[in-house]
This record gives sequence, C-alpha cells and structure tokens, in this order.
Amino acid sequence: MEDKKSYDLRFLHMRFIGKIIAGFTHEIKNYIAIIKESAGLIEDMIKLGIASKSDPDQYVEIIRSIEEQIEKTNSLFRYLNRFAHRMDNELSAFNVNESLEELIALLTRIANQKKISLEKDFQHDIPSITSSPSMLQFLVFHFLEENIARLDKNSRLIVKTAPLKNSIEVRIIPKGNFLTMEMEKEKIPDEILNNVIRQLGGSISHGSEEDTIITLPAAST
Amino acid sequence: MKQKEKDLKVLLVDDEVAFADTLAQRLKMRNLKVGTAHDGEQALSKIKEEEPNVIVLDLQMPGIHGMEVLREIKKAYPDIQVIVLSGHGTDKDEEEVRRLGGFDFLKKPADIDHLEYTIRKAFQKKIERTM
Repeated sequence: MEDKKSYDLRFLHMRFIGKIIAGFTHEIKNYIAIIKESAGLIEDMIKLGIASKSDPDQYVEIIRSIEEQIEKTNSLFRYLNRFAHRMDNELSAFNVNESLEELIALLTRIANQKKISLEKDFQHDIPSITSSPSMLQFLVFHFLEENIARLDKNSRLIVKTAPLKNSIEVRIIPKGNFLTMEMEKEKIPDEILNNVIRQLGGSISHGSEEDTIITLPAAST
Repeated sequence: MKQKEKDLKVLLVDDEVAFADTLAQRLKMRNLKVGTAHDGEQALSKIKEEEPNVIVLDLQMPGIHGMEVLREIKKAYPDIQVIVLSGHGTDKDEEEVRRLGGFDFLKKPADIDHLEYTIRKAFQKKIERTM
C-alpha cells in the first residue's frame, strides 16, 4: 500500500496539474468568446449592410483579430501539450528554460488577476539536464503561487535561471510590497518539498531578501 | 415606454479588451448605448460618470474581483441592474450573485439575442423600481 508521504505528494501533484488545466481552460474560453463575438460582428455587419464593398477594411480588421486569437489559442495549446508530455517519463533530459517558459505561460493569468507581473530572466546558454521536469515545475509553481499570494498588486515576480559549475540554479525573486495579511492558500508542508528536492538530488535555499533558490544537479543522481 | 427605452445605458465590464469592445459594437448595432470598463476600479468610477441603468459584469478580473464590484454597486446604487457574464462561474457563484442582488447570471460565450433580451428585461426592472 502506498505510504502517506507518497500519497500526499501524489495528491499535491494532481492538484497542481488541476490548477494548471483550470488556468489554461479559462484563458482558452476567453479567446473562444472573442472569436465568437468577432464572427458575430461580421454577421451583424453583413445583415445590417453596415460595411459595403467599398469599405472592406472593416471586415479585414475583424478577421485579423480572429486570426490573432486563434494564434494565441494555438500557442497556449502548444504549451499545454508540452506540459502534459513532461510526465511521460520519471526522468528525462530537458531544457530548464523551456520547461519554465511553459509553466510561466500557463500561470500568467493567475498572476495578472492580482496585477502581478510574472517575468523571466533566463540565461540562454543553459545546458540540458537529466531530471524530472514535472517535479521541477511542481516546485517552481509552488513558490510562484506562494509569492503571488504574499505580494501586493503591481508587484513583479521574476524567474531567473543560471548555470553553475555542476548544476543549474532557478531563482524566484519577488519585487514589490508584501501584504500584511496573506491571501488564504493551502500550504505544502516543508517535509514534502524537501522530500521532492532530495529525490531530484538538489537543494532549496533562500537568498538575501526574499529570493528562493532551487539548485538541481546537471547530471541525474 | 419607447421614450424610456432610449434612456437605456449599458456599462460592459470585462478585462478582455477585445471581447468588451467587440461585444459593445454588437450591442450598439442593436440600438443600445454602451460604455466599457476593463477592471473593477474603472467600472466604479465610470458608474459615477456615465450613470448606466444596466451593467454587464465579468467575475474574474485583475484587481477587484467581480463579486466584490457587484457588492459595491448594489450597496451604492441598489437600482442599477447587474447581469453577470462569466466564462467560469460555478453554481456557487451563481447563487452568490443572486444573493447579492444580481439580475441574472449568464455564461460566456452568450447568445447575443439572449443577452440583448436580458439587458432590456433588466432595464424594465430598473424602471419599475424607480417608478
């Protein structure tokens, strides 16, 4: 029978995936609503004879807007597909920047709801590592979510990556004012976080100010 | 009554600018006067300026949540009718909207004819309340 720690981790991981999917569907539904209204607007214009052949630019403008929403939808689907495939294998070789980029894309709306700007500061020559991309995303998501809950509106949250000698560093840097009363959020016990990072052979530490630093070995353990 | 229908002013509140602008255009084609706001704070200040009779309100917006905006509107302007138009509202949200005095709860994407009908019905209620 699965022990309690494994069960708790599995539950929290499922909850993380659920939150990502909820954010994704929210965003997609918005894009679809815009597409529907834009198509409806063209229909209205035709029915009411508002734009004539002499002024086709009005139609072209709406069609461009539809294309833009389709492109945004497609891009988000690409990120979700990559996110889903991160779980294909327990360990795999992956680029940390790419895995964090898709996480940020899927989380941006959640941050925007609190008027927090989610930014990336990735070092581009970062080597691929062999580890669990899904668990890394789970950890980074946890710290981002925790900071989103603590930060006041109009703050910034930066995800920075850098290669070290035999490892990769992911730094989560909050910039702005912290709320005196945190929004309610279910806390993940430190024991579980420590367990995950131990399994990945890395470490979690806190830098000066409020930074959180996740370090992962460049080679799998 | 016809004369009064000319007074129908709608404020459309949604953080998706493209959505709000397109929907506003469609409602204007149906002879409604429509203004837009893109977050709760902007909505509350536009209510003072534009004095709408009916507000179409999204729930999930940056800054003040739509539910909080609804609460503030009903407290300060109890006669204004608020239709919530949300892509993600749950049954619990719908219950809360009605408890706070919201006129109706519609899900995105809504049928334009149904939305227009609901707006006009909400306006009728506003007239009845102020008669």
